[in-house]
Amino acid sequence: MAKLTIDGKEIEVPDGTSLFDACRDARGEALPHFCYHPDLSIAGVCRLCQVEVEGMPKLTIACNTGVRDGMVVHTRNERVTKASTQILEMHLINHPVDCPICDQAGECGLQNQYMNHGLYESKVEMDDKVNKAKAQVIGPHVILDKERCVLCTRCVRFCDEVTGTGEMGIFNRGNRAEIGTAPGVELDNNYSMNTVDICPVGALTGRDFRFQKRVWMLKAATSICPGCATGCNIRIDHEAGRIYRLKPRFNPEVNGRWMCDKGRITYKAVHEDSRLGDPKVAGQPGNWAAVPGAVADLGAKDGFGLIIASPHQSLEEMYLLKTLAGTAPVHGGLTGADLGDKDKLLLDADRTPNRKGLGLLGIEQGEGAALAAVIKSAAGPILIHGGDPAADPAVAEALSGRDIVYIGTHENATAGLAAVVLPGAMWAEKTGIFVNRDGRLQEFRQGVARHGSAREDWRILAELMSVGGLEDAPGSLKAARTGLTPAIGSDTDLNKIPERGFVPGGEVR
Amino acid sequence: MSSSDYKILSARFDRQDGHLLSVYEADGGYKALRMALTSLKPEEIRDVVKESGLRGRGGAGFPTGVKWGFVPEGSPEVYFFVNADESEPGTFKDRYLLDYDPHQTLEGTIISCFAVQAKLAFIYIRGEFGWLVDRVQAAVDEAYAAGYLGKNILGTGYDLDVIVHKGAGAYICGEETGLINSVEGVKGQPRIKPPFPAVAGFLDKPTIVNNVESVASVPWIINNGAEAYKKYGTEKSCGTKLWSVSGPVKNPGVYEIPLGMPFREFFHDYLGGMAEGEELKAVIVGGSSVPVLPASEIMNCNLDYESLMNAGTMLGSGGMIVIPESSDMVELIQVLMHFYFDESCGQCTPCREGTGWLHKIVKKLRRGEGTAADIDLLEHVCNGMAGLTICPLSDAAVMPMRSFIDKFRPEFEALIQETAPVGPVSRWPRGEQE
Repeated sequence: MAKLTIDGKEIEVPDGTSLFDACRDARGEALPHFCYHPDLSIAGVCRLCQVEVEGMPKLTIACNTGVRDGMVVHTRNERVTKASTQILEMHLINHPVDCPICDQAGECGLQNQYMNHGLYESKVEMDDKVNKAKAQVIGPHVILDKERCVLCTRCVRFCDEVTGTGEMGIFNRGNRAEIGTAPGVELDNNYSMNTVDICPVGALTGRDFRFQKRVWMLKAATSICPGCATGCNIRIDHEAGRIYRLKPRFNPEVNGRWMCDKGRITYKAVHEDSRLGDPKVAGQPGNWAAVPGAVADLGAKDGFGLIIASPHQSLEEMYLLKTLAGTAPVHGGLTGADLGDKDKLLLDADRTPNRKGLGLLGIEQGEGAALAAVIKSAAGPILIHGGDPAADPAVAEALSGRDIVYIGTHENATAGLAAVVLPGAMWAEKTGIFVNRDGRLQEFRQGVARHGSAREDWRILAELMSVGGLEDAPGSLKAARTGLTPAIGSDTDLNKIPERGFVPGGEVR
Repeated sequence: MSSSDYKILSARFDRQDGHLLSVYEADGGYKALRMALTSLKPEEIRDVVKESGLRGRGGAGFPTGVKWGFVPEGSPEVYFFVNADESEPGTFKDRYLLDYDPHQTLEGTIISCFAVQAKLAFIYIRGEFGWLVDRVQAAVDEAYAAGYLGKNILGTGYDLDVIVHKGAGAYICGEETGLINSVEGVKGQPRIKPPFPAVAGFLDKPTIVNNVESVASVPWIINNGAEAYKKYGTEKSCGTKLWSVSGPVKNPGVYEIPLGMPFREFFHDYLGGMAEGEELKAVIVGGSSVPVLPASEIMNCNLDYESLMNAGTMLGSGGMIVIPESSDMVELIQVLMHFYFDESCGQCTPCREGTGWLHKIVKKLRRGEGTAADIDLLEHVCNGMAGLTICPLSDAAVMPMRSFIDKFRPEFEALIQETAPVGPVSRWPRGEQE
């Protein structure tokens, strides 16, 4: 441990800590910086995190300085603030200050730092600036504005060190230096949008989010990416019922600070035209009041003969399906559905968020032929919750002519076969638990209002329980979780899931 | 003392065919190497060089032997670089050393490598010095053929390879870590320190980078001993130094003199004073990156590290630029500011933006569009650059800029008056050259 004094405050940190981190601890806020990033190597180029260390003649950058026992450090004295203000001024002299048309405005390092320790009068005339290329498409997801760039090299280091793809580089030198990709090279890897996140200014912006919304109008909800079994922790940025973008949320146990580009566009399905908006009975749009009767007419009063679950649904919903089934079989859907290529960073081959959840509740999946056989051997109405098992021809054949209740989100083959179609909520429209590939239970929370007259799935399932005459239909999600906690042998109350999730028993399953 | 008494480095500059190995050997060459490899231990060589007081001749003046001592003891893989990327404006001494006496530097290189137990050395030659690459390569080839390089040198079991590397013309690659990056094949820009190259340099292994002149001094020191070397110079500035003198003096060129010689003596006895019709106005004494001194101040200076430091400037590389009264100081600083603006690697912000900004303001002044506030702004920009960057290029721009304003402010002020400026007539149309 090293004991040091920062701005008169004594703190103790482990040996090997960088002075930058020690200063953050002591000050309660980070030193001004652009190039420092905890997950990337030290570049030391923005020069903003200058501090005064007693006994050293020159100011030094904290990010490239290790702590030493007995160090006395000043981060807010006149000499330091004067230097960092001047360096900020250097960052800004050739900046276009086109904040009114910049997507980064509102979450921009230059804006924030100018407000925090700038506030000087500009000394540069407009026609004196260095002009560089603007709005260059450098890949399928990212646009580059070279004028706005402060050359912190975070994106370069990200592509070199995290993805190992090396698309980005700095070209030319002096104040003609600019970020770019080599001729014929596109910034086209599955993590390219992370460069937009780590860009401290508006140099790299996402093509998807570009000009869609001013960031200060966005509201945030914490969620879990439904794109694959990794379960990256995310933030849903939304406004007025519409999702504008997904951003990674720090979880060192799962995704660190990153998420993949495929995951970022999963929100698009929430706003697709093919969403189911109203309950449908025998192909005709109806309303929820007609649902209990319609379902009862199919014979569900005496329970369903078979329930087919799906790895796209939450753990609570899977649990309720089991309760609803009673002695009837619950099948987990198709093993071969929703698979893709896996990469070495985050993306998993399993493109469903909760296949582990099925396993946790002992619900088994099967091949199309096996599921078809199960369907054929089951008597009575069939409840299908999510997924699209009828996309498999053998399953579709087995399902045809049967009495089917389908709870889903989009028009698909299964919805087409169902007598009663009930619009459920998508992940961004409800709260629930996904179990990721490592068996980690993580909670996602509702961000936006549900589409049309769609309902939270637990409510729909509770309603179906009432139709079947079951007494213990939950009155709330909380109540459902209370029953679920012992069912999976969890010693953690599922109504109190920690922010970073947890693995029941602490072991990776 | 006659001038030939203290020719250590330049003794063979006039030697016919002095660049050839046979001639060098006939003059006693490679004697020091034989002695060093057969009868001295590496640490003894380091001690002799440390004791001699030899300081880095590239500009910073850091004691060479001390630098060698920073290599962690017992490092299995050490690299040695001879920095011949001589690109400091006004400096052209290393080029003489390599052109007229390449074997002297090569012998010094081999001894230095032995002292730090390096197995591979690079001689990094400035790209513009194309012919020097051939000359040095020829010397290296001769040395290999004679058994001074390669495996089992002189039967001592010591192996060393030397690679002559041609730079691509960037000033910043003369900075030692920029140079290492350049050889590694990545962008030639300085690295953040720590770690210092003596601990983690080329391929992250201990690496020593020495200037040509420093290395070239080593054979003489080995032959004659530290005490003999210390007889020249002052207490803290030991030995002799090459000065490359440009400007309208009677005898411009490269001179070797003991450190500590009064400038007045050097100026009159060696340079022969100013050329016909010219008067001394100022001197940039150690290459373009050091503060300028007006004639009145430099005339009272001695040419050694401490005296020049006390006078407010630096010995630097010994690239002495003599400025006549007929020169427009603002024009000169514009040339220098263009140089630093052009050569800044652009990696860290104060230098990237500051050098360009200084250049713009000076150009604006010279176009006659400046105001009094612009002179203050120059100083403001300098404050935002000095001492805040990864490498000294930023300081190298600030030092002349500040000193030009400080010492020749009236010439700057003349440009912001409404009437046409008085003073020297520029040789170039105002504001047109970059």
